[in-house]
Amino acid sequence: MIEIIQQIINGIAIGGVYVLIALGLTIVFGILGIAHFAHGSVSMFGGYLTYFFVATMGWPLLGAILIALVVGLLLGVLIEFLAYRPVRKASHINAFIVALGLTMMVEGLNLEFFGHEQVVIPTGFYRVFNIGGVTIPELRLYVILAAALLIVAMTLFVDRTKTGQAIRAVAENRDAAILMGVNVNTIPIVVFAISTALGVAAGVMVGSLFAIAPGIGEGLVVKGFAVLILGGLGSIPGAIIGGLVLGVTEALAAGFISSAYKDVIAFAVMILVLLFRPEGLMGKAR
Amino acid sequence: MIISPKHIFYIIALIGFILLPQLVTVKYYLHLSILALVWVIAAQGQNLIQGYTGYVSIVQAGFMGIGAYSTTLMGLHFSLPVWLTIILAPFVTAVFALATGYPSLRVKGHYFAIVTLAFNMVIFIVLMNFSALTQGEAGITGIPKPGGENGPIDFSNREVYYYFVLIVAVLATAMVALIVRSRIGQILISIRQNEDLVGAIGIAAWKYKLFAFVTSAMFAGLAGALYAHYQSFINPEIFGVSQSLDAILAVIIGGSATIAGPVVGAFVVVFLPEYLRFADSFRLILYGLILVLATIYMPRGIVGTVTSLWERYIQQDK
Repeated sequence: MIEIIQQIINGIAIGGVYVLIALGLTIVFGILGIAHFAHGSVSMFGGYLTYFFVATMGWPLLGAILIALVVGLLLGVLIEFLAYRPVRKASHINAFIVALGLTMMVEGLNLEFFGHEQVVIPTGFYRVFNIGGVTIPELRLYVILAAALLIVAMTLFVDRTKTGQAIRAVAENRDAAILMGVNVNTIPIVVFAISTALGVAAGVMVGSLFAIAPGIGEGLVVKGFAVLILGGLGSIPGAIIGGLVLGVTEALAAGFISSAYKDVIAFAVMILVLLFRPEGLMGKAR
Repeated sequence: MIISPKHIFYIIALIGFILLPQLVTVKYYLHLSILALVWVIAAQGQNLIQGYTGYVSIVQAGFMGIGAYSTTLMGLHFSLPVWLTIILAPFVTAVFALATGYPSLRVKGHYFAIVTLAFNMVIFIVLMNFSALTQGEAGITGIPKPGGENGPIDFSNREVYYYFVLIVAVLATAMVALIVRSRIGQILISIRQNEDLVGAIGIAAWKYKLFAFVTSAMFAGLAGALYAHYQSFINPEIFGVSQSLDAILAVIIGGSATIAGPVVGAFVVVFLPEYLRFADSFRLILYGLILVLATIYMPRGIVGTVTSLWERYIQQDK
């Protein structure tokens, strides 16, 4: 029993990371109709940058994360401006190919700047709490809290603010939004800023919980999309539930079945959902 | 039958391919040409699903892996002759494609791409970890050539293998051309243009999509099998997601939904990294940049762009 609770807590930590990635993907998809495949690599860029500031420059962790957030944000907005804007009116295949090309470029950038080595962001949070036999590493607890905080903040932003309203309006009906006076040219920039900020946060979490290495970003973005498929396309609650389900399933699979095949099991869950509920767990039936 | 400039071009290209081993003096380039021809087969399959049907599948290299491992393992465990396992490999791949295509074709567009990408990752993980069968990361060595030890044709000769693969690649290209001109092909193109309309006139689009997906996988399986018996060595590394991206790249750069496109694209994909070798770690960035720029400024690929330039030139003449 304790073992199960332990794995579920691990799963929630990983799931929180997946939720952050998936939320970033889902708002971009809602606005631009683009599968922002480079998202994982941009997140890793943020993680690498944080590592560089903390480990090489010796900056305090929080300051490093903030600066990495700002730089990552600029990169995200730049990507929207230079690469996605020109293909906005092209077919979705072309937009996706551009996203693939961008992924290669950002991965190449990461290799060029940070090398092949696997790095772990030193956080200094290495205490372990013990609650009734269940051990919770301090870091994992902070990751869960930070993820929850970001998820709530993002949901409130989209739900309550004027800009959030505009984002939802554009996602729902672009033409009607234009008629209502929404500036549809600035909305994508706002969306990419939010998306990239969440992505960088996720990248920092992956970098401190596990490690950052070439290729990790690719796996992360695929997991993010798996979450979207699981939860229902374009649904924010779906992304949250889907992310937690995927994270917990993976942790349980790693703990009790086989850690080498944990990704296979995670994808098998996705396929099962597709077979029996193609609209996703929280999606509306079409 | 009227002979158009297109036919003349095809004949010249074919003659060029036949003469290639005589023209190429550097052995290494012949080696790359064989690899490129293997990629032509895989890319023709990719073109069927991506170019004509409009579904970007990111599992082509994974299916190549299934083809390569199935031909190797069937030869190893059942001691079947090589030519038979090469013929069987696409059918084994087709079984996997049927099982994966059915659920994944329920979603469209980007999500189909992501689901197929997940399949490629699963195939890769299984090839890596199911060591009892695949020998894991170390791979399998000593895969025999077709034709046996003392057969009438010496397949260990590079030139011979080149012609062998060339024949298969030409047949594969011809087959795609035939499919595209048939009623099935026309329906596939209609699915790309307006899938709802296809459904509305009473055609079960999913059957045709599944056909395109499975056929494309069979091409990949065949390509993988030819690759395995050429290199005599396989490991999971070459059947990963980035190689699937190469197949997509080949179709896009060459010209999607054209017959000659994947041929041009496959050669670009195999030879370009060799020429970019000087750039070292910048290579990935350059490669990505070329892909992005090509998609934005030349969305119809090399063949599409050249064709429209040629047509404009003809127009001016008249």
